[in-house]
Amino acid sequence: MARIHIDEFPPYSPSDQAKKENVLVVAKLMVNAALTAPLTGGVPGHEAEIVYGQKEIEQVAREMERLAHKEVPKRLKKPFLYEAVMARESDAIVFLGNKRAHETPMDVGCGLCGGEPDCSFVYNRVNHFNGLIDATDRSRETAIKGPVCVIRAHDLGYVIGSAMWIAGNHFVDAKSCYSVGLAGRNLDICMNSEIVVGILIAAASKNPYADIPPNYHLTNMAKQIDAVRKITTITRQIPNHPYHTFDPEKKTEAGKKKEE
Amino acid sequence: MAIYNGLEAAHEHLLDVAKACIIAAGKAPTLTHRVELMAEIITGEDMDPIIDVLATLGENSAFQLHDAVALQSLRKQNKLPPIVLFGADLLKPALWDCGACGFKTCGEYLKYTQTNKGVGIGCYGPTCVWKAVDFGTVCDYACACAAQHHAEARIMFSIGACALLLGHLEGATMVLGLPIGPLGKNLWFDREAWKETLSFDQKMMTQLAGGPTNQMAFSGGGNPIIKSKPNWWEDPTFLKVEQDETFIEKDVNNKAKAYEKIMRYTGALGEDEE
Repeated sequence: MARIHIDEFPPYSPSDQAKKENVLVVAKLMVNAALTAPLTGGVPGHEAEIVYGQKEIEQVAREMERLAHKEVPKRLKKPFLYEAVMARESDAIVFLGNKRAHETPMDVGCGLCGGEPDCSFVYNRVNHFNGLIDATDRSRETAIKGPVCVIRAHDLGYVIGSAMWIAGNHFVDAKSCYSVGLAGRNLDICMNSEIVVGILIAAASKNPYADIPPNYHLTNMAKQIDAVRKITTITRQIPNHPYHTFDPEKKTEAGKKKEE
Repeated sequence: MAIYNGLEAAHEHLLDVAKACIIAAGKAPTLTHRVELMAEIITGEDMDPIIDVLATLGENSAFQLHDAVALQSLRKQNKLPPIVLFGADLLKPALWDCGACGFKTCGEYLKYTQTNKGVGIGCYGPTCVWKAVDFGTVCDYACACAAQHHAEARIMFSIGACALLLGHLEGATMVLGLPIGPLGKNLWFDREAWKETLSFDQKMMTQLAGGPTNQMAFSGGGNPIIKSKPNWWEDPTFLKVEQDETFIEKDVNNKAKAYEKIMRYTGALGEDEE
């Protein structure tokens, strides 16, 4: 019989890895829920991808940090940096993408995109032949190439919701993020979608996505642990002593009493 | 002590489930953290104007008719479940400058919306795409809550669109309707009232129109026969793309009729005005 020890600390230790495997099971169940979410007309149009593993998650976190510094508007800089920290503290990331919004609109004239009773707002602004949108030009001037069909994009909300619901029902903390999705999409995760959302998931005693202090990218636990490693190494070199032959405590009053 | 009629008591309980669904919707995790949710529960005769307008639009569109017929029948049998309306103002942007709406910045988008806010067949626009995504998550949480109560539920654009035009949830740019019930199994899939609404031929015609290649004969000649009858090779039928003036006229008249009803219900048109 096997003994599986589980403990969340230290990160990526065998005990933590065993826990991460449990979370991966939930990630897969979340994808099932996502794909069975109620959609406009029940039309399929979403894809999912799970990112798992230290290096794989690190790549996503780094792209989020690049976006924070180089691309997104200033007001998003700190949220993106903070969420990169959260990504590193996650056990897995579930990516959900909408394949239709940018390429195959609902064509129903709902009014959401441009407030008109037809789909002219979108079709007048994208490259298409007789209503067949040519999405092969993937160059972008904005983070997301718009306009997109809004009622198709609306569907993505249900997909996210059902995935999040499953995470919650399994007592796994989860947070859906624009930042994670954008970074993942730039790395060709859910590559058939223009609009991608990343759901960070983690099983931890403390929800890693709540109670965020200021400048979290500099003050998070990983930084603090590293600081302990950095400072303790120096500090121990001051009160050092030849412990084989000498105990400085012996010279104190308390030490003498202990000896008696 | 009391003995309750179980089904009647359960029907009444649907209202409590509806309230629970609104709680769930309020707790939905959103991306923008900026969705201001509006909700309303409609029961019994207060649904009549919505059903009436929906049925009017249904005179020329199977999509609306499908829902209108079901709601009419439930209402007649006194089995109409409580209907939750969810709404939100999705026009206010998330301020992410993401470009998904088609504008480079949220500022440019806002400038456009100031002079171009309008209405389509059932929603106001333009819309912040991320707000629309979040509104989906909110509605999904309500649906999931209904499912966990083992209550029938189906999120409906048709109900929401009519409710929006009739002035429910003022300030919302998108409204969706979520019937919580009726009691029973799969009643929004297997709709009793729909059985007699369309004839067999009409149903097969809808199938054909939706997927003509399925009934297409050899296409290599360039003008393939559409197999629309048992001896399809005799007096063959073909697919043709043409303008349909009669349908367009019917559609325009039908919409005018629906809008007139909406104006009467909302008091924009007096009884004596024609």
